[in-house]
Amino acid sequence: MDALWDDFATAQNTCNGYLLATTISPEPPATDPARLYNFSRWTNAYSVQTDLRYKLQYNPSVHLEKKEAGAWLEVFTAFYTFTGKLLAAEEAQTAGKNREADWSSVYESWKEVLSTVYRGYSGNVFEAWTIPCLYVVGKYLRIFAIKADEQAAASQRDSGLAFGGLQEEDACSAASKNEKLEDAARQINRIFALCLGDRSPLEDSRKWALYYTANLLFKTYFRLNSIPLSKNILRSLRASATDTPPLSAFPKAHQVTFKYYSGVIAFLEEDYALAEDFLMSAYQTCDRRATRNVEMILMYLIPTKLLTAHRLPTQQLLQQSPTLDRLFSPLCTAIKRADLRAFNAALEAGEDEFVKRRIYLTLERGRDILLRNLFRKVFLAGGFEAPKEGEGEGGIAAAVRRTRIPVREIAAALRMAGATEIEDGEGGVDGDEVECLVANAIYKNFMKGYIARDRGIVVLSKAGAFPGTGL
Amino acid sequence: MGVDLAEMQHKLKVVITQAAEAGQLESIDWTTYPLPQHLVQAERDAMALPGGAQNAHSANLNASTSYLSNGAYLPERIHKRKNEDLEVTATEEDAVTPSWKKHNTNKGSMEDRMTGKSKKHDKKQKKQDAFRANGLGTNADVLEKRKQRFGYTIEKSYFRLTAPPAPDTVRPLPVLEKSLNHIRGKWKNEHNYNYACDQLKSMRQDLTVQHIQNELTVKVYESHARIALEMKDLGEYNQCQTQLRALYKLNIAGKSEEFTAYRILYTVYTCNRTDMNNLLADLTLADKQKPAVQHALQVRSALASGNYHKFFRLYLDAPFMGAYLLDMIIQRERIAAMAAICKAYKPDVSLCFIAQELAFFGDVDAPDPDAGLRQCLEFLCQHGGEPFVERKEDGDIRFQTGKAIAVFEGQRAAAFRSVDIKGQI
Repeated sequence: MDALWDDFATAQNTCNGYLLATTISPEPPATDPARLYNFSRWTNAYSVQTDLRYKLQYNPSVHLEKKEAGAWLEVFTAFYTFTGKLLAAEEAQTAGKNREADWSSVYESWKEVLSTVYRGYSGNVFEAWTIPCLYVVGKYLRIFAIKADEQAAASQRDSGLAFGGLQEEDACSAASKNEKLEDAARQINRIFALCLGDRSPLEDSRKWALYYTANLLFKTYFRLNSIPLSKNILRSLRASATDTPPLSAFPKAHQVTFKYYSGVIAFLEEDYALAEDFLMSAYQTCDRRATRNVEMILMYLIPTKLLTAHRLPTQQLLQQSPTLDRLFSPLCTAIKRADLRAFNAALEAGEDEFVKRRIYLTLERGRDILLRNLFRKVFLAGGFEAPKEGEGEGGIAAAVRRTRIPVREIAAALRMAGATEIEDGEGGVDGDEVECLVANAIYKNFMKGYIARDRGIVVLSKAGAFPGTGL
Repeated sequence: MGVDLAEMQHKLKVVITQAAEAGQLESIDWTTYPLPQHLVQAERDAMALPGGAQNAHSANLNASTSYLSNGAYLPERIHKRKNEDLEVTATEEDAVTPSWKKHNTNKGSMEDRMTGKSKKHDKKQKKQDAFRANGLGTNADVLEKRKQRFGYTIEKSYFRLTAPPAPDTVRPLPVLEKSLNHIRGKWKNEHNYNYACDQLKSMRQDLTVQHIQNELTVKVYESHARIALEMKDLGEYNQCQTQLRALYKLNIAGKSEEFTAYRILYTVYTCNRTDMNNLLADLTLADKQKPAVQHALQVRSALASGNYHKFFRLYLDAPFMGAYLLDMIIQRERIAAMAAICKAYKPDVSLCFIAQELAFFGDVDAPDPDAGLRQCLEFLCQHGGEPFVERKEDGDIRFQTGKAIAVFEGQRAAAFRSVDIKGQI
């Protein structure tokens, strides 16, 4: 038991916030795996106050002011109650009695810990170096909330309620299955406001917890499927940008996560240029050993690049992660080969996962690039114009590509690539639809030229008919 | 004859499940209730008759198996935009008498009024009634009172509640069922949207305050949604759609195919990508197999890739009332298509081609070959394309696409500015 109080004393005396945070963490440090168990056995509900006071106020190795000691007393009292609930729940779970593990009351008792910590800050008792404590309370609140919600959903399933019409009072309240997590979001938002509103000088400001808390909120909102709420956070951060330290001054972990979420939010709002900036920067800052994080960033960076720069990821990049390889390789190969059939198949095969990650609607637009590649192939296959008479036989530079392409040649290419939709159902081709596809490519600047409808040809620009492809 | 064992057992299961869901297990007199094999037989007989689905419905008595009529999918649509709500049986309509006709025909004699006795007496009586209605009388008593008072008040105006409603102003389920038929009938005959909307809103309110979530609830929302669509009241439509989605999630039978398709088209209209993604995530494999949903998804994908040619063809054969929703986007998509056409075609194209590509076909009823062309011309002029129309000497009308690009590009940007709808959730 002494290890906890030793850590607490050391942390207080050396102003080590991260060490301090471990003393109230629901996860015991590796050096002291039985910490929570010992702590709950160390005292009992009757004498917890006395025992704690002895350790906090009258401990010769800790010199706390009376007010501060009082605040910590509250925190540890709440933590004591919480420990009991957590151990009971974990015990039930290890014994295989999942239903008896009461995660809901674990959540509530942890929320109480959060409140005591919150009061410590709102009363300006805790100094800014202790903010890792805020990280811990916020982080685990979210985790316990998710567990409690999962359990609530599971118990509803078990009792068969989910099949009757009873589980949803109001047809609209379908979201109530995330009751605890929604509550957690509110609590974390309180912490965010607490940090945002701190007016102390920067050296001693809670503002240093801003990005960590913002990231927690993003995570929670994404999980709740209420992403628009994230924009409020971004807005408040922008509004107070002048008296907040620059993002680059924060720990890298906070930076990367924040940039990732900012990038994804921009991506979802179709602001691809901004998304590219954020995601690129996140990708560059991210530690390469954090493979999962790299993967998550690339999941959005690849579709973004596809759209902004029409660039496909290299095979090498994709092979770093089996997930990325599985999801993107078939699509990319299909786009490169201009194989519509394969593209449609890949898009359909991955649809569920793409939709889940919200990249389906963006990837779908890869079809434009595929068609560009296809038209380009037709252009290349068209070869060169026959040299005109009198133009001098020796002129190598005179070799000019054939820029007039009959629509029927494009139609043939489309059919070979598997564009079944252009068939008119009677074995022929709907020429108007082919023209429509070409018109779109021209309209979206994938291709330079025009359609001369009356002559049934597409006239491509002599120079740079396919911008960005070296032709 | 010949109802085999499996069928009978299935029917029995359905009957029991429904009774259990409606909480009628105790109240139904099972000794006199029709046997399952008889119910199956009755359904078959009813199906064999013309207009089978409706009859089957009534043949089912209180077993309330309207799933038959719900499941009856008409493969051939008789009219493209048929509002299915318009099929109300005549008998149902007749059984319904508006409340104002039944209202207080004998207001008490002159004598009563002069002595002033009757009034007091009435009041006392009323108080007692209210007392009992509040649950202090016996159950049957209350029901009887409610039936007496509200058995025929099938019409009720919508009033936004600011406090819990008085129990005796809320119509019970059987009355609401009549109300729905009554309102549908009235809508069919009079087409008075304000009236229908008002009535349906009050029905929705009555259902909500009683926590009724069953097939009737679904029908009320579906009816309201269809009528709102017909009148292009998208705010109201969206409210219904949101509720319907939740109701279908509770596995209450309804026309989920039809309304899933509408929801996709509606989201196409609002251009909300987040919603669209959520919607796609919601769709099950079974949903995607259904023709109307497939049509809506094809519309979505055609528009996403800018394939106007395909879109306008899909526009022409939208199932159910999808055409009403497509009407909301067609103008904007025509402009977008014009922007692409102007940029891609040079130097000009014939008006015929534009009219055909943009689905200007004139009226279906009036076989005027040039009606489409005129509509197209009108459309072009409305959007500033007038200076670029040119009539050739041989009578061919050409449109100078090359010069009109700036005009339509500007129009396009304006048309796609975010869509704002009242009541959007």
